[in-house]
Amino acid sequence: MNKIDTNKAYQILWEKITSLSLAPGEILDIAALGDELQFSQSSIQEALRLLIHDHLVDAPPRGLFVADLHFSDLEKISTIRLNLETLAAQQAARNANADDFIILQSLCEEVAADTREHFELDQRFHQAIAQSAHNTYLEDTLKHFYGLSKRLWFIALPYLDFLPSAVKSHINLVTAIQNRNEPLAMEIMQSHIEEFYLKIREIISDKNLIGK
Amino acid sequence: MDFDHALLLSKGRKVKKNIKPEILVLGIDTGGTYTDGVLLEYNSHRIISTHKSLTTKQDFSIGIENVIKEIELEDPSAIQMVSISTTLATNAIAEGKGKRVALFLIGYDPEIIDSFNMGGRFATPHYFYINGGHNLHGQEQEDLDLPALLEKTKAIKNKVDAIAVSSYFSPRNPEHEIRSQKAIASICELPIVLGHQLSTSLGSVERATTAALNASLLAVLQEFIIAVRRAMEHRGIDAPLMVVRGDGTLMNDEFAARSPVETIHSGPAASAIGGRFLSNINEGLVLDIGGTTTDLAFIKDGKVTISETGASVSGYKTSVKAANLLSIGLGGDSHITLDRGNVLSIGPERVIPLAYLSYQYSNVKERLRALAKRGWPAPYPRELEYWFLQRDINDRNSYTAREQEVIDILRSGPKPATEILKSLGFLDSSQIDISNLWREEVIGKSGFTPTDILHIDGRYTPWDGQASQAALTVFSNYLNWPEEKFHPVLWENITETITKSVIHFLTKMDIPEKNDPQYTLANWFLQNSLQPGHEQLATQIQLKVPLIGIGAPAEVMLQETARVLNTELILPKHFQVASAAGAVAGSVVVTEEILIYPQLSNGNFDVIGYYVQARENRVEIAELDDAVAYAKKIAKDNALSAALRSGADNPQVVVDVIQDGMDSYQIKARAVGKPRLGG
Repeated sequence: MNKIDTNKAYQILWEKITSLSLAPGEILDIAALGDELQFSQSSIQEALRLLIHDHLVDAPPRGLFVADLHFSDLEKISTIRLNLETLAAQQAARNANADDFIILQSLCEEVAADTREHFELDQRFHQAIAQSAHNTYLEDTLKHFYGLSKRLWFIALPYLDFLPSAVKSHINLVTAIQNRNEPLAMEIMQSHIEEFYLKIREIISDKNLIGK
Repeated sequence: MDFDHALLLSKGRKVKKNIKPEILVLGIDTGGTYTDGVLLEYNSHRIISTHKSLTTKQDFSIGIENVIKEIELEDPSAIQMVSISTTLATNAIAEGKGKRVALFLIGYDPEIIDSFNMGGRFATPHYFYINGGHNLHGQEQEDLDLPALLEKTKAIKNKVDAIAVSSYFSPRNPEHEIRSQKAIASICELPIVLGHQLSTSLGSVERATTAALNASLLAVLQEFIIAVRRAMEHRGIDAPLMVVRGDGTLMNDEFAARSPVETIHSGPAASAIGGRFLSNINEGLVLDIGGTTTDLAFIKDGKVTISETGASVSGYKTSVKAANLLSIGLGGDSHITLDRGNVLSIGPERVIPLAYLSYQYSNVKERLRALAKRGWPAPYPRELEYWFLQRDINDRNSYTAREQEVIDILRSGPKPATEILKSLGFLDSSQIDISNLWREEVIGKSGFTPTDILHIDGRYTPWDGQASQAALTVFSNYLNWPEEKFHPVLWENITETITKSVIHFLTKMDIPEKNDPQYTLANWFLQNSLQPGHEQLATQIQLKVPLIGIGAPAEVMLQETARVLNTELILPKHFQVASAAGAVAGSVVVTEEILIYPQLSNGNFDVIGYYVQARENRVEIAELDDAVAYAKKIAKDNALSAALRSGADNPQVVVDVIQDGMDSYQIKARAVGKPRLGG
């Protein structure tokens, strides 16, 4: 496997799939993707193999497709993420160091210009919390779920308007982490995630954006 | 006919047929003018076929793709390795094509940098001072100002493509670089390069420059490797891809993409290795004459000598290890012109030979012949210069109105520069600003070159020698010389330039100007050695080792130099493509350096133990012997593992312990192995 090709092709395809520029259910043609993205076919093939492992690409007996999205996925993903993120908040309150506090503080102070930037900022914040937990396995697992969740958020993104307030709850969370208050950090994170998925669920359901 | 693209110049040449080689490898060298390919059998060094394409500076991978596509090859799947020497990094730096970089200097003193005027040496205008850094003993000299670092990162992250971090004394303690990396990565996704990962040298400015250049080249080399890989796949070649370092050793593509700065001077280093590889001579001076430059390197004990100081590129001094080289702007396609005093001058500008232009466009010859026939006043040799369109442009708006005008004029074919200037109302090319067109190789220049002389002499005649002859007549008429006088003057000029650069390269002394009254005797000695003229005194310079000539024009252009230097000229078989052979001849080498330095008591007076600093890991050990033993083991293990990851087959490791100041030691493990081959 050629890592440079594969890694780069993987990054590009991951971004295209998670931001929905390759739509759920779309056929993936290795030769056409190679030509379009100017990569060797073997690197596209390797990258798609990694994306199958990420549950972002489906490989039925014939053909390759961008994995479909169903409402039930939202339920499954949100349940796991809720637990993992809460655990990350608790571990961060226990293990975060002075550098982590500065990083989290700095992220809280960033101002986003639009909903999409708010969304990206929110993601950075959650990754920084996972990093502050100082548990590599937890961090990696959350990263994996990030790819799966991102597609759902992107579907709802045009209808989301509540993110600025959600970002504000980050400040309270950072304070709880700094005070080493594990139960409070967990509580804030739990309500933050629950509120978020509730909103996404409402939008997807109301607008009938994906199938059951 | 369109003048564009490398394919026009691509000429396949099969050397030997019907050979069933055991292990085939493909070496590719991208020079300033040509991209050469050599297919050879790895164990016997037997060259099976060669190919030459025009180098496309706009996109180096095009020339390489052409070689991979066109080289005569019966079974592509039999290729076990592709290895490339490339001037891509050097060229990207020289032409400012690297990506934009923000450089954080942690613990550097702005006053010192300013007072020594060193700001311009960092290879990026976006450099920022952050409090922090360590001292010589690896102790923190000041707290790392992480909030300031993050604030600055936020402000600059959308204006640059990569970030480099260099902390004061980071080879002794890289903690601040590592903490910075983690913090920056939390707020942006830009690639980050750390100084201590590239160099264990304590020279803080060179380390920062190296980090900044590496960051600026990351994407450039990555795109290049992806393009080459794609070309290999199209040709059905499934083999490891190696890249030549500036010291002639090899690294696999994955390593090269991470440390592109190490490919600076990769081309000339491959030439030197190729000269050694094909000649089998263990000590000699290698002169590689290409289309654009002549590169000098020295071989000793069968190896290319390495520069004691780090490689310099475009005035930037780095801490990258590279071959000891000298490059001068003289090659087979150097432009022959008259200077203001009507003295013949060659180079450093490279142009397309008139023989080639005329070969492509027959009307060029007609006009040159007419010029040659014109009597008094004889036409000025400047009239021999042509401009031509090399490629069409996609976006007219990114060019000035004047540049668009020139493009339009050249759409119907090459035109004499004097005619173009006249039609635009200029007298001289220095008055017209079309720099984008030259830099981006939208237009090219053709003129009289040593390659034309070879056509006239019948020594190298692939193109139209009659056009070259007409150009020579124009020069002779103007100078009122018999044509036979032209040759000796030109070769004398070339020989003098090359000989002086040999002396400069080997002595490191500047050659005085001819008329400098301070150096009358030195000048007389030199001139009398080059062109003996004194009735009673004979002087001579002798090069005590042979001259190994490589590159297509070497055979003709170096005979006289070897005579003047009283040495033998060795032209190995296939000397024309030695650099490409050199690209596959190197070994995979990885050097791992570990520092041992004392742990001092609070007053800094007593040694209470030792730190063993192995990149980001630091261990405290009480006794020196234990520290050395531990460092040797770690160095050996790390070098071995890095060599394997870098593509070495069965690497062997040698560990040296070097005392580096009071109570400090450098442990150097050097792992060397042949490249791992395989489909």
